[in-house]
Amino acid sequence: MVRFKNRYVLCEVVSEDPRCRQCIEDRALGLAVRDAIARVHGDYGLACCSISFTVKYLNAYTGTVLLRCRKDSYRLLCSALPFVRYLESRAQRYPCFLNTLHVGGTIRTCQKFLIQHNRTQLLRLLQNCTNEEERQCIQKSLLSCSLTEEQSQSGDEEEDDGTE
Amino acid sequence: QNILTVCFSVGYSAVALNNVIDFKEKKQEIIKPVSPSELFPSLPIVQGTTKRIKVLTRLTLIVSDPSHCNLLRSTSANIRLYDIIAVFPKTEKLFHIACTTLDVDLVCINVTEKLPFYFRRPPVNMAIDRGIYFELLYTPAIKDSTMRRYTISNAISLMQICKGKNIVISSAAERPLELRGPYDVANLGLLFGLSEGEAKAAVSTNCRATMLHGETRKSACGVVYTVKKPRKVEEEETVPACKKAKTQA
Repeated sequence: MVRFKNRYVLCEVVSEDPRCRQCIEDRALGLAVRDAIARVHGDYGLACCSISFTVKYLNAYTGTVLLRCRKDSYRLLCSALPFVRYLESRAQRYPCFLNTLHVGGTIRTCQKFLIQHNRTQLLRLLQNCTNEEERQCIQKSLLSCSLTEEQSQSGDEEEDDGTE
Repeated sequence: QNILTVCFSVGYSAVALNNVIDFKEKKQEIIKPVSPSELFPSLPIVQGTTKRIKVLTRLTLIVSDPSHCNLLRSTSANIRLYDIIAVFPKTEKLFHIACTTLDVDLVCINVTEKLPFYFRRPPVNMAIDRGIYFELLYTPAIKDSTMRRYTISNAISLMQICKGKNIVISSAAERPLELRGPYDVANLGLLFGLSEGEAKAAVSTNCRATMLHGETRKSACGVVYTVKKPRKVEEEETVPACKKAKTQA
């Protein structure tokens, strides 16, 4: 059966500047990644990777990004991701770097990994908690996160990260 | 200290802090390494496991003259305090000496300029047998385009000689934003000509082997490991009592 196989790369945007997270946009990120591929692999690399390249999912609170590319060229993309140095949006440059978390064949596997990852992050935040009500909040969201049909559950637990 | 917190959040389980000694300047004393407990009151826990993160100390010697190597054999007490020792040879002769006879754990490969010498197979094979690893830095590649070319060309020429064994990739990050996560660094290894399994090993198992190599160097081939035990005063008191009993009987 002929089907186009894709690879979904899950990354996290890490930056020192707290304002950087608020202005992550999908276009700015896509441009930054394409620029990095062009610098590292040249015209051929850029052309190969941009056949089916999009930013599928973006969460500004936690800085989680899901990129899609073809299975044949995902190595070019993955090897160029460490070279992303800054995000540019609204004429402002924010230095940051992308940390690759997981590469999967479908969005569903990436989502499962993301839920587990968020659960461990929440546990870590729980340890560093100082306020009692923040503690309650995190514990509640930990107990309620799971893979369901709706996307709203994963949205809830990630918003708690944003309020920290 | 910022760099270390970013390291831990990204998922590294052991970090080594580097001190670089350059011999071009006049006689330099080897300073004592900063103890990790001064930086962090309590080391945070590795993500996903219950062990604490290890912070090691490391010394890099930039040698451009055979007389500098004598420092390694000297009985300077401060050298013993470092966990890992690395050497950065500048000439072919020194590279040969470092691979065959010097007592180091890592040999750094220059990535910032064209190599003045070509690698040859005999010293590289001897280094692999002795358990010495070759180190490549990746932060210059992120910063600058010409450095990137030198990094890739030097790395690929090293790969062709050593077939991808005994490679460690590390960062010389001076700011927290120059650091990259372990998965990303393994992907960089693909650019350097390593295969996927070798690239992952370059970040994980080879580094662990280097740490163990440093430990064996500290403790007489890993067989004898001396630990200072606090003396128990009670034992000394009971011994004379027994002796008295024997003489009486």
